[in-house]
Amino acid sequence: MKDYKLEIWATLICFILVAFIGGFFSSFVVILNEVFFYQVPTPEGLVDFYGETMFVIKEHLTVMGFPLHYFLLVMFSWIGVTIIGAIWCFIMDGIEERQRA
Amino acid sequence: MEPRGEVFVLGLVLSIVVLVISVLISVWARRLTRNLGDYYVAGRSIGAINNGLAMVSLALSLTTFIGLTALIIEGVYIAVAVYASFTAAFIGLMILAAPYLRRHKSFTTMAFISERYDSKTLRYISVVVMMVVSVLYLAGNLKGIGIVFYFLLGVPEVVGIVVGGLVVTLYVTLGGMYGVTYNQTFQTIVLLFCLMLPVAMILRALGTAGWFFPPLGYGDLVPEMIEFVPHYFWAMLEHPITYIAIFLGSFFGIIGLPHFVMRFFTVRDAKEARWSTVLCVFLVGLVNTTVYATGFAAVYFMQTTAGVELTPAAYDYMVFILVEALAGEGWLALAVAGSVAAGLSTVSGLLMIMGAGLIHDLYGELKPEVDDEKKLKLSYLAMFLVGVFVILFSLNPPEFILKAIMWAFGIAAAGLGVPIVLGIWWKRTNKYGVGVGMVVGSLIGFAGWIMIDYMGMNPVDIPFPFFNTYLYGPMGWIKVTVLAVCFSFILTVVVSWLTPPPPENLQRQVDVMHGWPDYDEKRYNGKGLPIAVIVISVFLLWFMTTLYDVFPK
Repeated sequence: MKDYKLEIWATLICFILVAFIGGFFSSFVVILNEVFFYQVPTPEGLVDFYGETMFVIKEHLTVMGFPLHYFLLVMFSWIGVTIIGAIWCFIMDGIEERQRA
Repeated sequence: MEPRGEVFVLGLVLSIVVLVISVLISVWARRLTRNLGDYYVAGRSIGAINNGLAMVSLALSLTTFIGLTALIIEGVYIAVAVYASFTAAFIGLMILAAPYLRRHKSFTTMAFISERYDSKTLRYISVVVMMVVSVLYLAGNLKGIGIVFYFLLGVPEVVGIVVGGLVVTLYVTLGGMYGVTYNQTFQTIVLLFCLMLPVAMILRALGTAGWFFPPLGYGDLVPEMIEFVPHYFWAMLEHPITYIAIFLGSFFGIIGLPHFVMRFFTVRDAKEARWSTVLCVFLVGLVNTTVYATGFAAVYFMQTTAGVELTPAAYDYMVFILVEALAGEGWLALAVAGSVAAGLSTVSGLLMIMGAGLIHDLYGELKPEVDDEKKLKLSYLAMFLVGVFVILFSLNPPEFILKAIMWAFGIAAAGLGVPIVLGIWWKRTNKYGVGVGMVVGSLIGFAGWIMIDYMGMNPVDIPFPFFNTYLYGPMGWIKVTVLAVCFSFILTVVVSWLTPPPPENLQRQVDVMHGWPDYDEKRYNGKGLPIAVIVISVFLLWFMTTLYDVFPK
């Protein structure tokens, strides 16, 4: 039962992490961030907040020249999920070995 | 956009080399095919590296090469979000389904659904769903091959569709799954070199510091890109449910797309299935980020180079235009060969699953007395006929390649992804629940595609009671995926709960799929998962109806 619980929890946590950084990340950082934290919920509000460009980033938040949210989206959805996948594989390899034993 | 005006000999030669090698690999692989198991699942003998590379070429179709670049040029930030989600979805596929499907020892997705729920009816329904999503997926890719031929030779796209379609039909028919697998591995290697190197040359010509690593080598172009297209990194002001629809479509769609799932039936064991996916997602991410760089470089090039004026219709050729202008004809030839390889690999995987579905899952069930030898012969015939049918269908392909594929993902998610995931993780799922869920879910997706994409109706005008009001916005149509997937989940769980549980021998399959040598009724049989699925699905349907006044219509 211990390995069963480990399988369930490892799968649940890894899936939530992968879903968030791969699926919802840009939504959260780019839109919800603006709507909920900066209270600029309309296009007109965004224009007031960011100027006429409606360009939803802040200049100082850049990594290697990229806007932070873009960099994180690209990196997390690629390197991030690869690492999470590898960790999950190691856990499942361990469970499989014990199942065979 | 006009073709180059003259035959591009070097590109043509390299493309022919790719085509000939593909056929030769299949001729060689035919020797390995001795029975039906060899033909459909390569004798379940494929290793992790081989399978991982083969999956990469399945994932990186011409849609990536051509369609994504075009979308990025148009400044559609959401295209990057789509591909980010698609990349991550491979890990979702691995975590929720891949190793468990391998342990089930089915030949196809349709066979899995039929055997897990002990229902021939579900097998027939899933064959129909599979055919719909595969044809949608295929048509776009064959159109891409036509685009490459048009650019190379100036011949109509239809010539490329027919020639490319016939070559791939030939090698799939000849080599079966062994041929498809080794071809896909070869095509991945071609594709990686033929995309990464020309893009690196483009970035070098544009003067970027990190040109040798295209995924990030264009960072110092960002200020200029922002100056030219201020909204470049600005997410479209869409309701967040749009992104959730993309997540649902990509994560459950990839589990439901049979040509991806079929790769896991070919590997040696569950461990190989897992690690092949990790390799695959790393390489897919590498190529996708390189394609983002191509799109950005294209914008920079168009804005800074005098005399470059392109119509949106020409964006499909942008990869080739860039490579030719900034890297030279040698690199262009490589890019063309890579494009041909990308198109062939995806088409071959789809043809394989369609042939297997028709013979193994349809004919084999209707005529169980037919022996394997005859089925094998019929498989060759079916594969050929399917290839010819798809070529004919592709002569009138969808206008936007990527859009057709996103519809395919949505339908596959609701029709096949949901029954697979619940069949693996919840013992109580039964054939009644799955039947209702997959029929209603896939019909919602299919009806949405027919009305919005095929008939051209405005999403808010289609007759989805109550919900159609909320299908507003530039990407409003994609919210149909939320309806399809959520209703599929809700109906599957509720109907399964209200009807008798499946017999013990079917529930036992779940323990076997998870690798347990013994049977324990309590495993994968709790109330947590079904309750969470219902709550999340209802929440998403409700969330779709919120913030109506906030986002532009």
